[in-house]
Amino acid sequence: SFMQGSKLEIPLWLAKGLHDSKRRIVSVELPKIYKEAWRTVFSADANVVDLHKMGPYYYGFGSQLLNFDNPENPEIAQTILQTFISRFRRIMDSSQNAYNEDTSALVARLDELERALFRAGQRGLNDFQHWEKGQASQITASSLVQNYGKRKFTDTDG
Amino acid sequence: LFQGDLGPFNPGLPVEVPVWLAINLKQRQKCRLIPPEWMDVEKLEEIRDQERKEDTFTPMPSPYYMELTKLLLNYASDNIPKADEIRTLVKDTWDTRIAKLRLSADSFVRRQEAHAKLDNLTLMEINTTGTFLTQALDRMYKLRTNLQPGEGAHSQDF
Repeated sequence: SFMQGSKLEIPLWLAKGLHDSKRRIVSVELPKIYKEAWRTVFSADANVVDLHKMGPYYYGFGSQLLNFDNPENPEIAQTILQTFISRFRRIMDSSQNAYNEDTSALVARLDELERALFRAGQRGLNDFQHWEKGQASQITASSLVQNYGKRKFTDTDG
Repeated sequence: LFQGDLGPFNPGLPVEVPVWLAINLKQRQKCRLIPPEWMDVEKLEEIRDQERKEDTFTPMPSPYYMELTKLLLNYASDNIPKADEIRTLVKDTWDTRIAKLRLSADSFVRRQEAHAKLDNLTLMEINTTGTFLTQALDRMYKLRTNLQPGEGAHSQDF
């Protein structure tokens, strides 16, 4: 048990469960990247921020934070959206550009949502390059099938 | 299987056949291929220049310009005058179109528009960038719903 007014770190799912705007069991303090000081940094240039280090679930976690009645919620929601919008271009260009030698520095700074998008862009590029090389028309065994061991005749007996 | 009639085949006289048959006959050294009228250096230079000049997409002479160029240059380059130049021109045009597509996508995201209409794109271009775009826009849509008051994020999707 603990005293009223004490500060604890608890998992998000627990905070959500305990939260109730009428009964006021818990109130949530924002992690610093969602607070005003950092929000200003994001609006100056969101591209420089290492969202992996700061997150790595900046967008997802930020969206969940909006469940708690915080007067700054509209600003937080707006910052999260604008951050996505300003970083979009670089993720798109580097994931789809064959001539970009080293994208690892950029990817290191992406949060998990952005990394998933980056991978989607890469797949599109890879598929195109396969087609260009004439590999798209080669029939290859499905990766699922390749993992089946060959059945021996003795296995099917009795 | 489908079936139909082709011909008549008279020696020395050109006849129109489906691309797959043309390639097949060519591979068996039974014919010479005549490239489409647009597969010509002057015509392609015109198209490339227009693509570079305009903000919108140039209507391409074939919805399968990439596929046809690849097939014909791979299997019948001896029948195509200035094949190397043609290859370069088509690639340049493709690069310009893809760059334009990305510019459009970024502009669409920045302005948070709800609807866009891009005429004259071919399937090849759409498929190369499509996966990335649809996923990104889906993510963005979810972030936008955060802005609605009283509608905290319910999704656990990161």
